[in-house]
Amino acid sequence: MSAALLARDVTVELGGRLVLEGVSFEVKQGEFAALCGPNGGGKTTLLRAALGLVPLAGGTLELLGAPAGNATAAVGYLPQVKPVSGAFPARVVDVITAARRSSWPLFVSALERERAASLLASVGGERLIDAPLRGLSGGELQRVFLARALCSEPKLLLLDEPTAGVDEKGRGEFLELLAGIAARTELAAVLVTHSADAIRRLAERVIYLDRVVRAWGPPAEVLEREWERGSALGGHDHDTEPGARCESA
Amino acid sequence: MRALVDWLAAPLGQAFVQRALGAGLALGTAGALLGVFVVQRGLGLVADGLAHATFGGLALGLLLGATPDRAIAIALPFTVAVALGIQQLRRRTTLGGDVATGVFFAVSFAAGVLFLGLRAPSAPPVNVEALLFGSLLAVSPESLWITGVVSGLVVALLAAIGPQLAYATFDPELARLSGVRVAALESLLLAVTALVVVVGVRTVGVVLVSAFVVIPAATAQLVGRTLGAILALSLASSLAATAAGLFLSYHLNVAPGATIILVLGATFFLALVLRRR
Repeated sequence: MSAALLARDVTVELGGRLVLEGVSFEVKQGEFAALCGPNGGGKTTLLRAALGLVPLAGGTLELLGAPAGNATAAVGYLPQVKPVSGAFPARVVDVITAARRSSWPLFVSALERERAASLLASVGGERLIDAPLRGLSGGELQRVFLARALCSEPKLLLLDEPTAGVDEKGRGEFLELLAGIAARTELAAVLVTHSADAIRRLAERVIYLDRVVRAWGPPAEVLEREWERGSALGGHDHDTEPGARCESA
Repeated sequence: MRALVDWLAAPLGQAFVQRALGAGLALGTAGALLGVFVVQRGLGLVADGLAHATFGGLALGLLLGATPDRAIAIALPFTVAVALGIQQLRRRTTLGGDVATGVFFAVSFAAGVLFLGLRAPSAPPVNVEALLFGSLLAVSPESLWITGVVSGLVVALLAAIGPQLAYATFDPELARLSGVRVAALESLLLAVTALVVVVGVRTVGVVLVSAFVVIPAATAQLVGRTLGAILALSLASSLAATAAGLFLSYHLNVAPGATIILVLGATFFLALVLRRR
Protein backbone atom coordinates (compact mmCIF):
# COMPACT_ATOMS: atom_id res chain seq x y z
CA MET A 1 0.00 0.00 0.00
CA SER A 2 1.40 3.42 -0.94
CA ALA A 3 2.09 5.98 1.79
CA ALA A 4 -0.42 8.74 2.43
CA LEU A 5 2.41 11.26 2.20
CA LEU A 6 5.95 10.42 1.17
CA ALA A 7 8.70 13.06 1.08
CA ARG A 8 12.06 12.12 -0.37
CA ASP A 9 14.89 14.62 -0.18
CA VAL A 10 12.49 17.53 -0.70
CA THR A 11 14.08 20.92 -1.25
CA VAL A 12 12.12 24.14 -1.73
CA GLU A 13 13.54 27.56 -2.43
CA LEU A 14 11.47 30.70 -2.08
CA GLY A 15 12.78 34.14 -2.98
CA GLY A 16 16.36 32.85 -3.13
CA ARG A 17 16.12 31.32 0.38
CA LEU A 18 16.20 27.59 1.13
CA VAL A 19 13.00 26.96 3.06
CA LEU A 20 13.21 23.16 2.99
CA GLU A 21 16.36 21.15 2.45
CA GLY A 22 16.59 17.42 1.96
CA VAL A 23 13.36 16.72 3.83
CA SER A 24 12.41 13.04 3.95
CA PHE A 25 9.67 11.32 5.96
CA GLU A 26 6.61 9.16 5.48
CA VAL A 27 3.06 9.28 6.80
CA LYS A 28 1.31 5.95 6.48
CA GLN A 29 -2.29 5.56 5.38
CA GLY A 30 -4.61 5.98 8.35
CA GLU A 31 -1.86 7.60 10.43
CA PHE A 32 -2.28 10.95 12.23
CA ALA A 33 0.98 12.90 12.09
CA ALA A 34 1.82 16.26 13.62
CA LEU A 35 4.20 18.64 11.94
CA CYS A 36 5.85 21.06 14.32
CA GLY A 37 8.87 23.31 14.50
CA PRO A 38 9.74 26.98 14.79
CA ASN A 39 8.02 29.73 12.84
CA GLY A 40 9.63 29.96 9.43
CA GLY A 41 10.74 26.32 9.69
CA GLY A 42 8.91 25.38 6.49
CA LYS A 43 5.80 23.61 7.79
CA THR A 44 3.23 25.54 5.78
CA THR A 45 5.54 25.50 2.77
CA LEU A 46 5.70 21.72 2.98
CA LEU A 47 1.91 21.42 2.95
CA ARG A 48 1.64 23.88 0.06
CA ALA A 49 4.30 21.96 -1.85
CA ALA A 50 2.36 18.75 -1.25
CA LEU A 51 -0.71 20.43 -2.75
CA GLY A 52 1.27 21.58 -5.76
CA LEU A 53 0.97 25.26 -4.81
CA VAL A 54 4.73 25.66 -4.35
CA PRO A 55 7.25 24.15 -6.80
CA LEU A 56 9.97 21.78 -5.61
CA ALA A 57 13.58 22.70 -6.25
CA GLY A 58 14.57 19.08 -5.69
CA GLY A 59 13.38 15.69 -4.45
CA THR A 60 9.94 14.15 -4.74
CA LEU A 61 6.68 14.46 -2.84
CA GLU A 62 3.96 11.86 -3.28
CA LEU A 63 0.44 11.90 -1.94
CA LEU A 64 -1.36 8.56 -2.00
CA GLY A 65 1.08 7.35 -4.63
CA ALA A 66 0.61 10.31 -6.97
CA PRO A 67 3.04 13.22 -7.48
CA ALA A 68 2.37 16.37 -5.49
CA GLY A 69 -0.54 18.35 -6.90
CA ASN A 70 -2.03 15.38 -8.76
CA ALA A 71 -4.09 13.88 -5.97
CA THR A 72 -6.11 16.86 -4.87
CA ALA A 73 -9.47 15.09 -5.16
CA ALA A 74 -8.40 12.57 -2.51
CA VAL A 75 -6.91 15.23 -0.25
CA GLY A 76 -8.79 17.54 2.10
CA TYR A 77 -7.09 20.82 2.98
CA LEU A 78 -7.87 23.06 5.90
CA PRO A 79 -5.79 26.25 5.84
CA GLN A 80 -5.26 28.65 8.73
CA VAL A 81 -8.28 30.72 9.76
CA LYS A 82 -8.60 33.43 7.17
CA PRO A 83 -10.60 36.61 7.55
CA VAL A 84 -13.80 36.23 5.57
CA SER A 85 -14.78 39.10 3.32
CA GLY A 86 -18.11 40.48 4.43
CA ALA A 87 -18.72 41.59 0.87
CA PHE A 88 -18.98 38.10 -0.62
CA PRO A 89 -22.49 36.65 -0.23
CA ALA A 90 -21.41 33.33 1.25
CA ARG A 91 -23.66 31.13 3.33
CA VAL A 92 -22.34 27.94 4.89
CA VAL A 93 -24.40 25.76 2.54
CA ASP A 94 -22.94 27.62 -0.45
CA VAL A 95 -19.36 27.11 0.77
CA ILE A 96 -19.78 23.35 1.06
CA THR A 97 -21.70 23.02 -2.20
CA ALA A 98 -19.04 25.09 -3.99
CA ALA A 99 -16.34 22.68 -2.84
CA ARG A 100 -18.35 19.75 -4.21
CA ARG A 101 -18.99 21.44 -7.56
CA SER A 102 -15.65 23.31 -7.86
CA SER A 103 -17.76 26.33 -8.73
CA TRP A 104 -20.00 28.70 -6.80
CA PRO A 105 -23.67 27.66 -6.72
CA LEU A 106 -26.23 30.17 -7.91
CA PHE A 107 -28.86 27.79 -6.56
CA VAL A 108 -28.48 24.86 -4.16
CA SER A 109 -30.62 21.80 -4.90
CA ALA A 110 -32.44 19.87 -2.19
CA LEU A 111 -30.00 16.98 -2.58
CA GLU A 112 -26.98 19.25 -2.27
CA ARG A 113 -28.48 20.85 0.80
CA GLU A 114 -29.06 17.44 2.34
CA ARG A 115 -25.44 16.46 1.69
CA ALA A 116 -24.17 19.70 3.18
CA ALA A 117 -26.35 19.16 6.25
CA SER A 118 -24.99 15.66 6.68
CA LEU A 119 -21.38 16.89 6.47
CA LEU A 120 -22.07 19.69 8.90
CA ALA A 121 -23.66 17.21 11.30
CA SER A 122 -20.43 15.19 11.22
CA VAL A 123 -18.55 18.22 12.58
CA GLY A 124 -21.28 19.36 14.97
CA GLY A 125 -22.22 22.34 12.83
CA GLU A 126 -25.66 21.42 11.50
CA ARG A 127 -27.31 24.55 12.95
CA LEU A 128 -24.96 26.71 10.84
CA ILE A 129 -26.21 25.57 7.44
CA ASP A 130 -28.00 28.80 6.47
CA ALA A 131 -25.74 31.15 8.38
CA PRO A 132 -23.83 33.82 6.48
CA LEU A 133 -20.10 33.19 6.80
CA ARG A 134 -19.44 36.67 8.05
CA GLY A 135 -20.29 36.81 11.68
CA LEU A 136 -19.25 33.23 12.48
CA SER A 137 -16.69 32.83 15.25
CA GLY A 138 -13.22 31.48 14.45
CA GLY A 139 -14.17 28.08 15.89
CA GLU A 140 -17.40 27.93 13.88
CA LEU A 141 -15.59 28.95 10.72
CA GLN A 142 -13.06 26.17 11.14
CA ARG A 143 -15.86 23.65 11.68
CA VAL A 144 -17.40 24.77 8.41
CA PHE A 145 -14.07 24.61 6.60
CA LEU A 146 -13.38 21.17 8.10
CA ALA A 147 -16.75 20.00 6.73
CA ARG A 148 -15.71 21.44 3.39
CA ALA A 149 -12.36 19.63 3.55
CA LEU A 150 -14.20 16.36 4.22
CA CYS A 151 -16.73 16.75 1.41
CA SER A 152 -14.71 14.85 -1.18
CA GLU A 153 -14.36 11.93 1.25
CA PRO A 154 -10.58 12.38 1.28
CA LYS A 155 -8.06 9.76 2.30
CA LEU A 156 -5.61 12.37 3.52
CA LEU A 157 -6.34 15.56 5.45
CA LEU A 158 -3.82 18.40 5.56
CA LEU A 159 -4.49 20.79 8.44
CA ASP A 160 -2.45 23.99 8.69
CA GLU A 161 -2.67 25.36 12.23
CA PRO A 162 -6.45 25.06 12.16
CA THR A 163 -6.90 26.42 15.67
CA ALA A 164 -4.56 29.39 15.42
CA GLY A 165 -6.57 32.48 16.29
CA VAL A 166 -9.43 30.42 17.75
CA ASP A 167 -10.35 31.06 21.40
CA GLU A 168 -9.48 28.49 24.04
CA LYS A 169 -12.96 26.95 24.23
CA GLY A 170 -13.22 26.71 20.47
CA ARG A 171 -9.72 25.23 20.27
CA GLY A 172 -10.57 22.51 22.79
CA GLU A 173 -13.81 21.65 20.98
CA PHE A 174 -12.04 21.54 17.64
CA LEU A 175 -9.32 19.20 18.90
CA GLU A 176 -12.06 17.00 20.35
CA LEU A 177 -13.72 16.96 16.97
CA LEU A 178 -10.49 16.01 15.20
CA ALA A 179 -9.85 13.27 17.75
CA GLY A 180 -13.32 11.87 17.06
CA ILE A 181 -12.76 11.90 13.31
CA ALA A 182 -9.31 10.32 13.69
CA ALA A 183 -10.77 7.57 15.87
CA ARG A 184 -13.67 6.59 13.64
CA THR A 185 -12.13 6.85 10.18
CA GLU A 186 -9.19 5.47 8.25
CA LEU A 187 -8.25 8.98 7.30
CA ALA A 188 -4.57 9.90 7.35
CA ALA A 189 -3.83 13.42 8.53
CA VAL A 190 -0.94 15.84 8.79
CA LEU A 191 -1.57 18.55 11.37
CA VAL A 192 0.66 21.61 11.52
CA THR A 193 0.55 22.79 15.09
CA HIS A 194 2.40 24.60 17.83
CA SER A 195 0.40 22.93 20.54
CA ALA A 196 1.87 20.06 22.54
CA ASP A 197 -1.65 19.42 23.82
CA ALA A 198 -2.86 18.83 20.28
CA ILE A 199 0.11 16.56 19.60
CA ARG A 200 -0.50 14.47 22.70
CA ARG A 201 -4.22 14.14 22.01
CA LEU A 202 -4.04 13.41 18.31
CA ALA A 203 -0.68 12.48 16.89
CA GLU A 204 0.69 9.00 16.40
CA ARG A 205 3.89 10.42 15.02
CA VAL A 206 5.61 13.80 15.11
CA ILE A 207 7.82 15.42 12.53
CA TYR A 208 9.91 18.29 13.89
CA LEU A 209 10.82 20.50 10.97
CA ASP A 210 13.27 23.38 10.98
CA ARG A 211 14.27 23.63 7.31
CA VAL A 212 15.47 20.04 7.73
CA VAL A 213 13.78 17.22 9.64
CA ARG A 214 15.29 17.49 13.10
CA ALA A 215 13.26 14.73 14.67
CA TRP A 216 10.68 12.18 13.57
CA GLY A 217 9.01 9.63 15.79
CA PRO A 218 6.43 8.98 18.48
CA PRO A 219 5.14 12.13 20.22
CA ALA A 220 6.53 11.45 23.68
CA GLU A 221 9.98 10.76 22.28
CA VAL A 222 10.13 13.82 20.02
CA LEU A 223 8.60 16.22 22.56
CA GLU A 224 10.99 15.06 25.28
CA ARG A 225 14.01 15.31 23.01
CA GLU A 226 13.10 18.79 21.82
CA TRP A 227 12.31 19.90 25.36
CA GLU A 228 15.76 18.75 26.47
CA ARG A 229 17.27 20.71 23.61
CA GLY A 230 15.42 23.78 24.86
CA SER A 231 13.14 24.02 21.86
CA ALA A 232 9.96 25.93 22.35
CA LEU A 233 6.86 24.83 20.56
CA GLY A 234 6.14 28.49 20.09
CA GLY A 235 3.61 29.78 17.70
CA HIS A 236 0.02 30.81 17.85
CA ASP A 237 -1.60 28.04 19.87
CA HIS A 238 -0.10 28.99 23.17
CA ASP A 239 -0.07 26.31 25.76
CA THR A 240 0.95 27.47 29.19
CA GLU A 241 2.47 24.17 30.25
CA PRO A 242 6.28 24.22 30.09
CA GLY A 243 7.51 22.42 27.03
CA ALA A 244 3.97 22.24 25.85
CA ARG A 245 4.88 24.04 22.71
CA CYS A 246 6.32 21.83 20.11
CA GLU A 247 8.62 24.49 18.96
CA SER A 248 6.24 23.65 16.56
CA ALA A 249 5.62 25.59 13.73
CA MET B 1 -55.47 55.90 -16.50
CA ARG B 2 -55.52 55.50 -20.25
CA ALA B 3 -54.18 59.03 -20.59
CA LEU B 4 -51.30 58.21 -18.24
CA VAL B 5 -50.39 55.08 -20.21
CA ASP B 6 -50.52 57.05 -23.46
CA TRP B 7 -48.35 59.76 -21.93
CA LEU B 8 -45.79 57.20 -20.77
CA ALA B 9 -45.84 55.29 -24.05
CA ALA B 10 -45.69 58.36 -26.28
CA PRO B 11 -41.87 58.40 -26.53
CA LEU B 12 -41.88 54.80 -27.82
CA GLY B 13 -43.55 56.00 -31.02
CA GLN B 14 -40.27 57.55 -32.06
CA ALA B 15 -37.55 55.42 -33.63
CA PHE B 16 -34.65 57.21 -31.94
CA VAL B 17 -36.21 56.55 -28.50
CA GLN B 18 -36.74 52.90 -29.40
CA ARG B 19 -33.06 52.61 -30.32
CA ALA B 20 -31.99 54.46 -27.15
CA LEU B 21 -34.15 52.16 -25.01
CA GLY B 22 -32.79 49.06 -26.78
CA ALA B 23 -29.18 50.18 -26.37
CA GLY B 24 -29.75 51.24 -22.75
CA LEU B 25 -31.36 47.93 -21.82
CA ALA B 26 -28.65 45.93 -23.61
CA LEU B 27 -25.89 47.90 -21.90
CA GLY B 28 -27.79 47.73 -18.62
CA THR B 29 -28.02 43.93 -18.87
CA ALA B 30 -24.34 43.42 -19.64
CA GLY B 31 -23.16 45.99 -17.11
CA ALA B 32 -25.40 44.75 -14.29
CA LEU B 33 -24.38 41.10 -14.59
CA LEU B 34 -20.71 41.77 -15.22
CA GLY B 35 -20.67 44.36 -12.46
CA VAL B 36 -21.54 41.77 -9.81
CA PHE B 37 -18.26 39.94 -10.51
CA VAL B 38 -16.27 43.17 -10.94
CA VAL B 39 -17.51 44.59 -7.64
CA GLN B 40 -17.03 41.30 -5.77
CA ARG B 41 -13.39 41.24 -6.86
CA GLY B 42 -12.89 44.82 -5.70
CA LEU B 43 -12.37 46.09 -9.24
CA GLY B 44 -15.05 48.79 -9.29
CA LEU B 45 -12.51 51.51 -9.89
CA VAL B 46 -11.07 49.55 -12.81
CA ALA B 47 -14.30 50.05 -14.78
CA ASP B 48 -13.88 53.81 -14.40
CA GLY B 49 -10.20 53.60 -15.32
CA LEU B 50 -11.02 51.59 -18.44
CA ALA B 51 -13.62 54.14 -19.48
CA HIS B 52 -10.96 56.83 -19.42
CA ALA B 53 -8.58 54.52 -21.28
CA THR B 54 -11.30 54.16 -23.92
CA PHE B 55 -11.11 57.91 -24.45
CA GLY B 56 -7.44 57.45 -25.35
CA GLY B 57 -8.30 54.61 -27.72
CA LEU B 58 -11.10 56.51 -29.45
CA ALA B 59 -8.84 59.56 -29.81
CA LEU B 60 -6.14 57.35 -31.36
CA GLY B 61 -8.71 56.00 -33.82
CA LEU B 62 -9.77 59.52 -34.74
CA LEU B 63 -6.11 60.52 -35.17
CA LEU B 64 -5.73 57.58 -37.56
CA GLY B 65 -8.65 58.87 -39.61
CA ALA B 66 -11.53 56.69 -38.40
CA THR B 67 -15.04 58.03 -37.89
CA PRO B 68 -16.28 58.16 -34.27
CA ASP B 69 -18.34 54.96 -34.83
CA ARG B 70 -15.45 53.07 -36.47
CA ALA B 71 -12.88 54.31 -33.93
CA ILE B 72 -14.22 51.54 -31.68
CA ALA B 73 -12.09 49.13 -33.70
CA ILE B 74 -9.00 50.93 -32.34
CA ALA B 75 -10.43 51.70 -28.90
CA LEU B 76 -11.26 48.07 -28.15
CA PRO B 77 -7.75 46.56 -28.43
CA PHE B 78 -6.33 49.71 -26.81
CA THR B 79 -8.63 49.34 -23.78
CA VAL B 80 -8.15 45.57 -23.51
CA ALA B 81 -4.38 46.16 -23.52
CA VAL B 82 -4.78 48.71 -20.72
CA ALA B 83 -6.94 46.23 -18.76
CA LEU B 84 -4.32 43.52 -19.05
CA GLY B 85 -1.61 46.06 -18.21
CA ILE B 86 -3.42 46.93 -14.99
CA GLN B 87 -3.65 43.24 -14.14
CA GLN B 88 0.06 42.64 -14.77
CA LEU B 89 1.01 45.67 -12.67
CA ARG B 90 -1.12 44.33 -9.80
CA ARG B 91 0.41 40.88 -10.09
CA ARG B 92 4.05 41.71 -10.60
CA THR B 93 4.42 44.63 -8.22
CA THR B 94 3.37 45.46 -4.71
CA LEU B 95 1.18 48.27 -6.03
CA GLY B 96 -2.51 47.88 -5.29
CA GLY B 97 -5.19 47.71 -7.98
CA ASP B 98 -6.26 51.30 -7.26
CA VAL B 99 -2.74 52.61 -7.85
CA ALA B 100 -2.29 50.55 -11.03
CA THR B 101 -5.64 51.80 -12.29
CA GLY B 102 -4.80 55.39 -11.37
CA VAL B 103 -1.57 55.29 -13.39
CA PHE B 104 -3.15 53.82 -16.55
CA PHE B 105 -6.24 56.01 -16.15
CA ALA B 106 -4.22 59.26 -16.17
CA VAL B 107 -1.74 58.23 -18.85
CA SER B 108 -4.44 56.97 -21.25
CA PHE B 109 -6.59 60.04 -20.80
CA ALA B 110 -3.61 62.35 -21.29
CA ALA B 111 -2.64 60.40 -24.41
CA GLY B 112 -6.20 60.88 -25.69
CA VAL B 113 -5.98 64.65 -25.27
CA LEU B 114 -2.62 64.59 -27.08
CA PHE B 115 -3.98 62.45 -29.95
CA LEU B 116 -6.89 64.84 -30.48
CA GLY B 117 -4.46 67.75 -30.53
CA LEU B 118 -2.26 66.03 -33.11
CA ARG B 119 -5.08 65.68 -35.65
CA ALA B 120 -4.64 67.61 -38.85
CA PRO B 121 -6.35 71.02 -38.88
CA SER B 122 -8.32 69.85 -41.92
CA ALA B 123 -9.75 66.80 -40.07
CA PRO B 124 -13.49 66.87 -39.27
CA PRO B 125 -14.23 68.43 -35.86
CA VAL B 126 -14.72 66.06 -32.94
CA ASN B 127 -17.54 66.46 -30.46
CA VAL B 128 -15.54 65.89 -27.27
CA GLU B 129 -18.63 66.47 -25.16
CA ALA B 130 -20.32 63.52 -26.87
CA LEU B 131 -17.28 61.35 -26.08
CA LEU B 132 -17.30 62.38 -22.42
CA PHE B 133 -21.04 62.34 -21.79
CA GLY B 134 -22.37 60.11 -24.56
CA SER B 135 -25.35 60.56 -26.82
CA LEU B 136 -27.88 57.87 -26.04
CA LEU B 137 -30.62 59.49 -28.13
CA ALA B 138 -28.29 59.52 -31.14
CA VAL B 139 -27.58 55.79 -31.12
CA SER B 140 -27.36 54.56 -34.69
CA PRO B 141 -28.91 51.26 -35.83
CA GLU B 142 -25.33 49.96 -36.21
CA SER B 143 -24.43 50.93 -32.61
CA LEU B 144 -27.64 49.36 -31.35
CA TRP B 145 -26.81 46.14 -33.14
CA ILE B 146 -23.25 46.09 -31.77
CA THR B 147 -24.46 46.79 -28.22
CA GLY B 148 -27.03 43.99 -28.48
CA VAL B 149 -24.50 41.47 -29.74
CA VAL B 150 -21.98 42.41 -27.02
CA SER B 151 -24.67 42.12 -24.37
CA GLY B 152 -25.64 38.67 -25.63
CA LEU B 153 -22.00 37.59 -25.61
CA VAL B 154 -21.50 38.82 -22.05
CA VAL B 155 -24.60 36.98 -20.81
CA ALA B 156 -23.51 33.75 -22.53
CA LEU B 157 -19.95 34.06 -21.24
CA LEU B 158 -21.02 34.74 -17.66
CA ALA B 159 -23.42 31.80 -17.77
CA ALA B 160 -20.43 29.65 -18.70
CA ILE B 161 -17.72 31.01 -16.41
CA GLY B 162 -19.61 32.96 -13.73
CA PRO B 163 -19.81 30.17 -11.12
CA GLN B 164 -16.08 29.38 -11.46
CA LEU B 165 -15.24 33.08 -11.38
CA ALA B 166 -17.24 33.48 -8.18
CA TYR B 167 -15.50 30.46 -6.62
CA ALA B 168 -12.12 31.94 -7.55
CA THR B 169 -13.21 35.25 -5.99
CA PHE B 170 -14.27 33.63 -2.74
CA ASP B 171 -11.22 31.40 -2.28
CA PRO B 172 -8.59 31.64 -5.03
CA GLU B 173 -6.34 29.02 -3.45
CA LEU B 174 -8.95 26.29 -3.12
CA ALA B 175 -10.34 27.16 -6.54
CA ARG B 176 -6.86 26.68 -7.99
CA LEU B 177 -6.56 23.34 -6.20
CA SER B 178 -9.86 22.32 -7.79
CA GLY B 179 -8.46 23.02 -11.23
CA VAL B 180 -9.99 26.46 -11.74
CA ARG B 181 -7.71 28.69 -13.84
CA VAL B 182 -7.90 31.67 -11.55
CA ALA B 183 -5.51 34.05 -13.34
CA ALA B 184 -6.96 33.29 -16.78
CA LEU B 185 -10.48 33.95 -15.48
CA GLU B 186 -9.45 37.31 -14.07
CA SER B 187 -7.83 38.27 -17.37
CA LEU B 188 -11.02 37.29 -19.17
CA LEU B 189 -13.13 39.30 -16.74
CA LEU B 190 -11.01 42.40 -17.32
CA ALA B 191 -11.06 41.94 -21.09
CA VAL B 192 -14.85 41.59 -21.11
CA THR B 193 -15.18 44.62 -18.85
CA ALA B 194 -13.08 46.54 -21.36
CA LEU B 195 -15.40 45.38 -24.16
CA VAL B 196 -18.55 46.52 -22.33
CA VAL B 197 -16.98 49.83 -21.38
CA VAL B 198 -15.87 50.56 -24.96
CA VAL B 199 -19.34 49.86 -26.30
CA GLY B 200 -20.92 51.79 -23.45
CA VAL B 201 -18.75 54.86 -23.96
CA ARG B 202 -20.32 55.36 -27.39
CA THR B 203 -23.77 55.55 -25.82
CA VAL B 204 -23.41 57.04 -22.33
CA GLY B 205 -19.91 58.48 -22.45
CA VAL B 206 -16.58 58.13 -20.69
CA VAL B 207 -17.69 59.79 -17.48
CA LEU B 208 -20.89 57.82 -16.92
CA VAL B 209 -20.35 54.33 -18.35
CA SER B 210 -18.75 52.81 -15.25
CA ALA B 211 -21.95 53.60 -13.34
CA PHE B 212 -23.75 50.93 -15.43
CA VAL B 213 -21.21 48.39 -14.17
CA VAL B 214 -20.78 49.49 -10.57
CA ILE B 215 -24.04 50.96 -9.23
CA PRO B 216 -26.54 48.12 -9.95
CA ALA B 217 -24.12 45.54 -8.50
CA ALA B 218 -23.42 47.69 -5.45
CA THR B 219 -27.16 48.22 -4.94
CA ALA B 220 -27.88 44.50 -5.18
CA GLN B 221 -25.02 43.64 -2.85
CA LEU B 222 -26.59 45.78 -0.15
CA VAL B 223 -29.80 43.74 -0.08
CA GLY B 224 -29.04 40.31 -1.60
CA ARG B 225 -27.97 37.35 0.53
CA THR B 226 -26.89 34.92 -2.18
CA LEU B 227 -25.01 35.33 -5.43
CA GLY B 228 -28.08 34.27 -7.43
CA ALA B 229 -30.22 36.88 -5.67
CA ILE B 230 -27.58 39.58 -6.16
CA LEU B 231 -27.37 38.86 -9.91
CA ALA B 232 -31.18 39.01 -10.22
CA LEU B 233 -31.46 42.22 -8.17
CA SER B 234 -28.61 43.87 -10.05
CA LEU B 235 -30.25 43.08 -13.39
CA ALA B 236 -33.72 44.16 -12.25
CA SER B 237 -32.54 47.47 -10.76
CA SER B 238 -30.45 48.24 -13.83
CA LEU B 239 -33.24 47.57 -16.33
CA ALA B 240 -35.85 49.42 -14.28
CA ALA B 241 -33.59 52.44 -13.76
CA THR B 242 -32.61 52.53 -17.43
CA ALA B 243 -36.21 52.52 -18.64
CA ALA B 244 -37.40 54.95 -15.95
CA GLY B 245 -34.44 57.28 -16.51
CA LEU B 246 -34.96 57.36 -20.26
CA PHE B 247 -38.68 58.12 -20.01
CA LEU B 248 -38.07 60.77 -17.35
CA SER B 249 -35.39 62.44 -19.43
CA TYR B 250 -37.70 62.51 -22.45
CA HIS B 251 -40.52 64.17 -20.55
CA LEU B 252 -38.24 66.54 -18.61
CA ASN B 253 -36.19 67.26 -21.73
CA VAL B 254 -32.86 66.61 -19.98
CA ALA B 255 -29.82 64.44 -20.77
CA PRO B 256 -30.84 60.75 -20.79
CA GLY B 257 -27.49 59.25 -19.70
CA ALA B 258 -27.22 61.48 -16.66
CA THR B 259 -30.89 60.91 -15.76
CA ILE B 260 -30.44 57.13 -15.89
CA ILE B 261 -27.38 57.35 -13.62
CA LEU B 262 -29.30 59.55 -11.18
CA VAL B 263 -32.14 57.00 -11.06
CA LEU B 264 -29.54 54.25 -10.52
CA GLY B 265 -28.11 56.38 -7.72
CA ALA B 266 -31.58 56.77 -6.18
CA THR B 267 -32.06 52.97 -6.17
CA PHE B 268 -28.66 52.63 -4.48
CA PHE B 269 -29.61 55.00 -1.67
CA LEU B 270 -32.99 53.28 -1.31
CA ALA B 271 -31.17 49.97 -0.94
CA LEU B 272 -28.86 51.56 1.60
CA VAL B 273 -31.91 52.32 3.73
CA LEU B 274 -33.42 48.85 3.23
CA ARG B 275 -30.15 46.91 3.42
CA ARG B 276 -29.83 43.68 5.35
CA ARG B 277 -28.64 44.18 8.88
